[in-house]
This record gives sequence, C-alpha cells and structure tokens, in this order.
Amino acid sequence: MSTHDTRVVVSGIGVITSIGTGIEEFTAGLRTGRSGVSPLTAFDTTGFDYANACEVRDFKPGAWIRRMRPAHLSRAGQFAVAAARMAVEDATLGEDYLAGRRGHISIGTTAGGTREIDTLTEAGLAAEAGPRAWDPTVVRSIPAVSLSAAIATELGLSDVEVATLATACSAGNYAIGSGLDAIRLGEADYALCGGAESVCRTTFTIFYRLGTIAPDCCRPFDSGRQGILTGEGAAVLLLERLESALDRGARIYAEVLGYGLNCDASHPVAPDQDSLARCMRLALDDAGVDPADVGLISAHGTGTKANDVTECRAINDVFAGRPPRTVSLKSMIGHAMGAASSISAAACALAITNGFIPPTINHRETDPDCAIDCVPNHSVPADLRVVQSNGWAFGGNNAVALFGRYEEHGE
Amino acid sequence: MKTHAVITQWSAYSPYGAGREAFAAGLAARRTAVAPVEDGWDTGAERAALVPGFDLRNVLGRKGTRSMNRVSGLAVATVSLLQEEIAAGQDSGLVLGTTTGSAETNMVAMGGALRSGRPYLIDPAAAPYLVMNGPAGQCAIWHDFKGPNATIAAGRPSGLAALGYARRLLLTGRAAMVIAGAAEEYSRARSWMEIRAAEDGSASPPPGEGCAMFAITAGPSASRPAVADVLALDFRMCVDGDWWAAVDQSVRRALLTAERAPGDVWATCASGAPGQAGKAETAVLEQTAGGAVALPDLTGLVGEMDASASAFQLAAVLSEAASSAEAAGWVAVITSTDPPSGVLATCVLGFAAR
Repeated sequence: MSTHDTRVVVSGIGVITSIGTGIEEFTAGLRTGRSGVSPLTAFDTTGFDYANACEVRDFKPGAWIRRMRPAHLSRAGQFAVAAARMAVEDATLGEDYLAGRRGHISIGTTAGGTREIDTLTEAGLAAEAGPRAWDPTVVRSIPAVSLSAAIATELGLSDVEVATLATACSAGNYAIGSGLDAIRLGEADYALCGGAESVCRTTFTIFYRLGTIAPDCCRPFDSGRQGILTGEGAAVLLLERLESALDRGARIYAEVLGYGLNCDASHPVAPDQDSLARCMRLALDDAGVDPADVGLISAHGTGTKANDVTECRAINDVFAGRPPRTVSLKSMIGHAMGAASSISAAACALAITNGFIPPTINHRETDPDCAIDCVPNHSVPADLRVVQSNGWAFGGNNAVALFGRYEEHGE
Repeated sequence: MKTHAVITQWSAYSPYGAGREAFAAGLAARRTAVAPVEDGWDTGAERAALVPGFDLRNVLGRKGTRSMNRVSGLAVATVSLLQEEIAAGQDSGLVLGTTTGSAETNMVAMGGALRSGRPYLIDPAAAPYLVMNGPAGQCAIWHDFKGPNATIAAGRPSGLAALGYARRLLLTGRAAMVIAGAAEEYSRARSWMEIRAAEDGSASPPPGEGCAMFAITAGPSASRPAVADVLALDFRMCVDGDWWAAVDQSVRRALLTAERAPGDVWATCASGAPGQAGKAETAVLEQTAGGAVALPDLTGLVGEMDASASAFQLAAVLSEAASSAEAAGWVAVITSTDPPSGVLATCVLGFAAR
C-alpha cells in the first residue's frame, strides 16, 4: 500500500513512571528490574484489606509545565503535558520548529479525569451542600479532551489536530497508531502520541471488587500470581517521517513498523484468545513483519489468571508454538491502564536502542499454562530488530504495535 | 475523484425522538425541544432537552441491559436503528465521540460504595461502564462488530473527530465500513458539573442529550449511494484566545482541501458555542459565504449537546440537504469549537449533482 512507503520513526521520548522519570532513570529501572510498588496514597484506603499501588511519588509538574497552571489540569493531564514537554526536549526540538509544521497530538487514557470525579463524589458526600460543594477548577479539569488539548496549549501549537483516545487499557497503542496513520497519509509532519493515567479510587475499587488486585506485588505468568497493581504515569513519543529525522540529524530510537486494531465483540471485560491472535496478525501484516523476525514481545501481561493464560495461548497460536521472549513491564510499574501501552512502546524503543530485554520481576515459578520465556527477574542483553507490544482492554478494544531497529541500509 | 470518505446513511436518537425523520421534522419546524425537566432527575438544571421517553430497557429489551448506563443505551439504540437500514457486516468498525464517558455512572457506583461504609462494595456489574469506552464496546457486542473500535474525545467537535478517525481507518484499509458518531447523556452528574463549571458567570444553554451515528465508507462507492461526500476535515487549536483568526484559518484550509470556493457553499452550520468562539464561527461563516443558507443554532433547539454537538450539526445539514433541491452539486461548511479546551474543527460536505 502506498501509505506504507512512508517510514515513521521515534525521535523523542518523554516518560513518567513509578520506576523512573525521564529516559535515563526509566532505562536504568528497566535494566535493573526495579519495583515501583508502595502503599497507595491517592486516597484513604481504610476499609480495604490491602492497598499497594505503583504510584509516581516524586512528580513535580512545575518542572515541566510552564505556560499552563498545573492546578487547572487533572493529574493525568499533568502527566500527559509533562511527558510531552519531555519528549520535545529529548528530541532537541524548539517550539518554533513544531509551530511551523502541521502536527498531530493523540493521548490515550482509561480513566481520564476519573480521579477528579472521585474528588467531586467524596466532596459531595461530605458536604451538606452536595454538588454545590464541587470545586469549579476541579470540574473544569475533567473532560478527557484536556489530556491532549493541554499539550498543544502548553507548547503553543495551533496548527495541530488533537484528540484523546479513550479506549481503556490499550489506548496508548491506539494513540501511536493514530499518529502513525496521520503521518503515513501525509496529513501530519510530526505526532506527539502516547498515554496518561492517574491512580484513582474508582479504578482501584472496581479491580479490588472483581478480585483482581494483588495483595503484595504483580507476578505476571507466575503460578502464584494474584492479579494487578494499579499504576500511573505517562509516556509520549515524538514521531516523524524518517526523512525529517535524518535531515535534522536526530537520534532515532526506533522505527514504528505498524499496528493492528480489532474488537472482541463478545465479553465486556474478559479477553478472547482468537480475537487477540487476530489482532497480532493484523499488526504483523500492517508492519510487513514475519512472526519469526520478532525478537521480543512486551505483553499486556496484567498478572491476572484470565489475561496471562489467554494471552500466552494466543501468542503461541500466532508464533506457531515458538514465541519470542515475552515480558511484562507491569511486574515493575503496575498496570498504568491507558498509559500502559505507551510506556511499553517507550520501553520497546529503549530496549532496541540499548540492546537489552527488560525482565519480568517478582517471578518465582512460571505457570505451565503460560508457555513463554518471561525473562524472569534479570534483564538480558539482546540484539533486537523487531519488538511487539500488546495492548488489550475492557470493551474488547485490542491494539498491537510493532517497533523495529532503524537500519540505514535496511530492506 | 480522489478516494475519500462518504456518508451513506445515518440515524439518531434526539430530543425530537427516535430516528432520522423525527429529527428532520423537528428541525424543519424549528421547534425547540428544550422543556422543563421532570421530577425525579434531581438535577440542577430546570430546563433541558431530553430524548423523549427514552427508557433503555423498553427500547432495547431486558436482556443484557440490567446494568447498562444511559449513554450506552442511546448509542446501542441508535446503531440498531441504523443497522435496520444498512446491515453493516461483522468486519465493520465503530467510532464513538465522548466527553468523559458517564460521570453519572462513576458517581453512583463510587458514591454507593462510600455511603455503604464498606468502600470496596462497588457494584461489579458497573465495571464495563466505568470506563469511557463502555458504550462503544457495547455497540460492538450488540451488533457483532469485530473491526476497529474506538472512543474519541475532542470536546464539542468530538463527532467530527469520530468522523475523521473513521475516515483514516478507511483510507488506510483498516476497515471498509465504519459506523461513527457521538453520544451524550443527560444526568444529575453532568447537569451539576456544567453548573459548577460555569460558576465564573459564563452562561451556558440548557443541556441536551442524544446520539447521532453515520455509516461511513470509502468513496466513490458503487454499491452504496452516498448521502454526502466528506470533502474536507480540518482540526486546529486556538491557543491565544483569537478565535476569529483560528476559525478563519480552519475554514479557508478546509475549502482549499475540498477544492471548492466560497461561492460553492450552499449552507453553513455554526456550532452555537458560548462566548467569543461561537461569535467567531458565525462571523467567519457570514463573511466567507454570506449568501448561503445559515442553519439555526442547534443549542437553541436541542440544547447544549457537548460530545454529540457536532454529530447533530452533521445530522442537521444532511436533513436540510435531503429536503432541499438547492443542495445538489454544492457544499456545506460545518464549524465546531470547544471554548474550554481550545479545540476547533471545520467539515466540508459535498452533495452530488442530481
């Protein structure tokens, strides 16, 4: 297809996670298998038997957000804007450079301003005035569009298409795909895309109620796994055409090879093996990649009974029983929901650039029903050419993205 | 003609009732659907434009609807109406515009748990609807759409953003048919949020609710006749408060992309946004195509639709074109602005010569 003649690369990364902010810290965290777990502080957890999470503890929005007032943004919005600023600085681009070009901004999220909706819910219950007690500044920070629009406002970009992709836990891959297509079609010169999420009471409570919150830590693919930990943060990638990156002598982390989207259209919350396999095949086809060339899968790998077995079976279907090494970053950073696959994309690009595979930590014994090598506990050096990143979601919204090492004299 | 997106059919649940004809008739009569809110809603607004008599379990039946929220019900019901006519296949995509899913569902579920004194006792059946993609996921489940399924938030232009997302799915070959549109529900939470957000004195029209969905395919299509060609979609941001300049640039570029001149414009439809943004839309459209038919401000007829505002502008233009002999061979220009976020969009629709 003609649109695929356009090669698109990652030339800037901004990342905020519980194991590190900025690419240096984050890369070190991935390489050493750092754990982002700590007792949850986002809300009063009285009444819950256990409440660990992977929160970003040291986040200083003012360090990154200069034009806007951080208090006017939801916490997820602050993460999105800060990560975007970081990506632009990492790409060593001035605002003038971007302002003179046509841009695309897409940010994925699961809960958007739900942390702030929770604030209203609690304020309304606490006060006799009910909704009259709601803080207008908090109310105005809630609409999901603000996660992407605030990036344009902060960076002073007007010739830009912005949208927030609210496709739950695969939303980061949706956003990257959206940026890729806009550039492939010649409708954007660059894209700032990724995902952002904040830990909140509603998300924690529903997973707790469904019996899928782990009491201590997240152990994907392990026989003793007990579920997820909710996480938070953001990752934003700067995408541009290969030619424009080469012209300005940019550092190229990776090439975005393609992506695939599909929908289970069956159960609202349980994954569907055949549908997951179909989505991986769509992505491989879009990227023009043979499964045998994939050197690593960054799995959705939530650490729940339902996900891990279904995902591993689907991977074995697609890779004909010979899956590449398959890791779960959620062991380290928890489930960052709508930010998860964008953080995974950042990790994939950094793994390719730095030549290592991040581990699946907290691992004791691989579940025999998870027939993969999850690279337990310690990262390994690896010469990676193609990396796949899986994202599944409530609503059966599946999205898989593929990243490749940029090779000057590649095929 | 270049490959582009075409709208082959549409339907809606609107404050005028169920279906395309009900909306067209209400619009043609310029009848306002804004009315006093009945007791039982416990909302802060005294007037609103609700979808009349919309009880989702009556409309969709009792199976699979026990915990379904209102915005999902509106979306599923609208897609059902559309499917009766177009019977889109299993590989179809679905794209839905939203503001923030359902704040009501979140508040009822979370508030219930907190009030119970056992804060973990949230209703597990609410899970699919606590995420913003609940309605789109339900549309896929009900209609067995296994193609790309997306939920997109772009403020009041969300309906046009959904159309734009659908267009790229078609142009990149990711889908051959996409059902796209936007949905918004009336609720206690939304009503109070709008009242509190306007606490600084900014006036906002009474809230409205509804869902409008459009069948989109890549054109020109031999198998399905188009009701309109999507000739251009332009998205921008107003980051300096100069709405007039932003809307002017957007309308100019959209017409340029559509390869049409201001003299080709048969009708215009501004979004009725509050404040400077809305005034800029009206002024730019008047200046660009002063001789064209200016559709009425929909917020005065069906209320402030938020996420579905621009989807209903599309519906209004298609309704007007269907009943007017003068549209054929001409184009319509739709603008939409979202003052709080700064997002704006322009859409140029073309109508085939008869």
